[in-house]
Amino acid sequence: MILMQTGAIFLDAYRELNAKKLFWITMVLSALVVLVCAMLGINKQGITFLWFELPFPVNSDMISPKLFYLTVFTSFGLGLWLTWIATILALVSTAGMFPDLIASGSIETVLSKPMSRTRLFLTKYLTGLVFMGMQLVVFCSGFFLLLGIRGETWQPGLFLAVPIVLAFFSFLFSVQVLLGLVTKSTIASLLLTLLFWLGLFGLNAADAILVSVRAASEIRLEDAQESLDNQIAIAERTVDRMRGKGEPIPGEADEPLPEGAANTLEAVNERIPRRAESLQEAQDAIPKRRVWSDRIFIAKTLLPKTGETIALLERNLISDEELDALMGDTTDTPEQFLGTMNDPRAQRRAQDIIRKRSITWVLGTSLAFEAIVLGICLMLFARRDF
Amino acid sequence: MTAAIDVQQVEKMYRGKIHALRGVDMRVERGEVFGLLGPNGAGKSTLVKILMTVISPTKCQGTMLGKPIGHKATLANVGYLPEHHRFPEYLTGAQIVDYFGALAGTPRAERKRRIGEMLDLVGMGRWADTKIKQYSKGMRQRVGIAQAMINDPDLILMDEPTDGVDPVGRKDIRDVVRTIRDRGKTVLINSHLLSELEMVCDRVAIMVQGEVRQQGSLDDLTEPHRRYEVSFVGDDQSAAALLAGMEGVSVEAGIASIPTEDPNRIQPVIDCLRASQIVVKGVRAYRPSLEQLFLDAVGEDSGPGAGPNKHSRMHMEARP
Repeated sequence: MILMQTGAIFLDAYRELNAKKLFWITMVLSALVVLVCAMLGINKQGITFLWFELPFPVNSDMISPKLFYLTVFTSFGLGLWLTWIATILALVSTAGMFPDLIASGSIETVLSKPMSRTRLFLTKYLTGLVFMGMQLVVFCSGFFLLLGIRGETWQPGLFLAVPIVLAFFSFLFSVQVLLGLVTKSTIASLLLTLLFWLGLFGLNAADAILVSVRAASEIRLEDAQESLDNQIAIAERTVDRMRGKGEPIPGEADEPLPEGAANTLEAVNERIPRRAESLQEAQDAIPKRRVWSDRIFIAKTLLPKTGETIALLERNLISDEELDALMGDTTDTPEQFLGTMNDPRAQRRAQDIIRKRSITWVLGTSLAFEAIVLGICLMLFARRDF
Repeated sequence: MTAAIDVQQVEKMYRGKIHALRGVDMRVERGEVFGLLGPNGAGKSTLVKILMTVISPTKCQGTMLGKPIGHKATLANVGYLPEHHRFPEYLTGAQIVDYFGALAGTPRAERKRRIGEMLDLVGMGRWADTKIKQYSKGMRQRVGIAQAMINDPDLILMDEPTDGVDPVGRKDIRDVVRTIRDRGKTVLINSHLLSELEMVCDRVAIMVQGEVRQQGSLDDLTEPHRRYEVSFVGDDQSAAALLAGMEGVSVEAGIASIPTEDPNRIQPVIDCLRASQIVVKGVRAYRPSLEQLFLDAVGEDSGPGAGPNKHSRMHMEARP
């Protein structure tokens, strides 16, 4: 009986989505996105779209076709289509699922069947995820073929996008379901979910900025330390040379130190105090920046990590070496950018910090959030008088 | 065999404020059509929803089909037509019956066989493959009844089944209810349309302000109110004086009421009136309608004069 009831709910959900047309619209758009990506190419002259040359300073000598299509997938297919447009379409399509279910006149007939409310709720919830899952399977299959044919690399790992994006969608969907149960309104639940998502986006952006600032501060500290060490080494060599020549060394024997110098090294290299001062400033700046960075990190720990969840796939598909190739050379950084957020070394380090966050932290805490939200939903659904 | 529904002391308090049910006792026997009556807000729908696990009771004892109230598996053997139901607009009549049949646990093969049968029974066979959004309210109601019967339940609860249905449709629904009863099923109907209930119900319960005020067969309930009425031409006071010695006889508006079902007991009244040259216009056996019973029960609660209660009308007793 359980299978029969589950099948009936899934069939009904399919019919509902089918009636809304949005399911097929999203499916067709997904296929179109893959098709457009397939029209992109890379050769020795640069990037092409069909037979047109596009003005991008990238060619197949710099990145391989495999890396090119992987980048197209992660940045455009995954980063733009799946995690934004397709997700919004999926949220719109599924927003009415629970408000419609609990509407007066609808819920009575369903609740009067020999099926527990918990099972009814969870089955209905799963149908929402299946909607997104089907879109993902179609999209990933298309890109898998695209990578194999155009990028000459068969990447089964690409199908990891299905569970990963599904997890990402489920974080938002669970919130939408909760809001749908509370407000009983399709529009309100959709808008509030988008607002929640915007909040997460803001939090992610703040985190990325603070991590970059923190990375820049650490690099500035390291630079200051290195610079001070260099100046001290220069001063030591100067003292050795003076000693070898028998010249008087300030601060030694009865030779006085010049005004402002604290020791012999500072006396022979007047840059040392300035470098020491810079080092102190860099050291002082770190705790202040760490406080805000840590606060944001705690907030993120409690909430679903949409950005990092999607980045898990990029981690899997693009290696650190390939990422280095994409980010370009960081050795010839203009001096004005050194030690700032625009310093490519800071950007790379920030990228490393975010990429090295554990899967347990990214997925585990996000799924825990979803479990808590679903627990509240279940409590509301199971105990409410309709 | 246990009763189809046998509940005692059902109470429902909403959010600790509204006392919707105040200890309802009700018994529905197997194989009967049972009518649940009551004014708006009496708690009828709340009681039905408690039986169907849509609402959780504050307190409830009793059984439905021999199992405790709230026992989910029992619902596989119960059909339910909610009031103001809203079926998915994107489904056809046949798909709705099939969907709810599957949720009720009816095997696919049986559903396939019964869908046509049930839709034909409610007169919707021709529109089985038409989307419900194109149905009139009456058609939706018929499909609602079909879905309530798809699992061949032993007990069917119908909340306002004739709501929005035209007179011809109402008759059809009454016929369906009789057919269901003839198949040995039990039907509980919650309705405002008393004349409809009177035509099909074996027994009724009248609910007022969360309590069952009266319960029983129509014969049982009307028995205390049955009487003979002798209408005459003349003034009430003279007639009342003439009939003062006869036990229980009252006179009002040119009618002498004799609380009996025995025609022999009215002969002395007629003789007495005729002996005094009072012209007897007619004699009729009076049995109150369900509507009058209902209004009595509701009126009792509202107090004298508050409602259309026959007891609240001016009443002149014959005195010796």
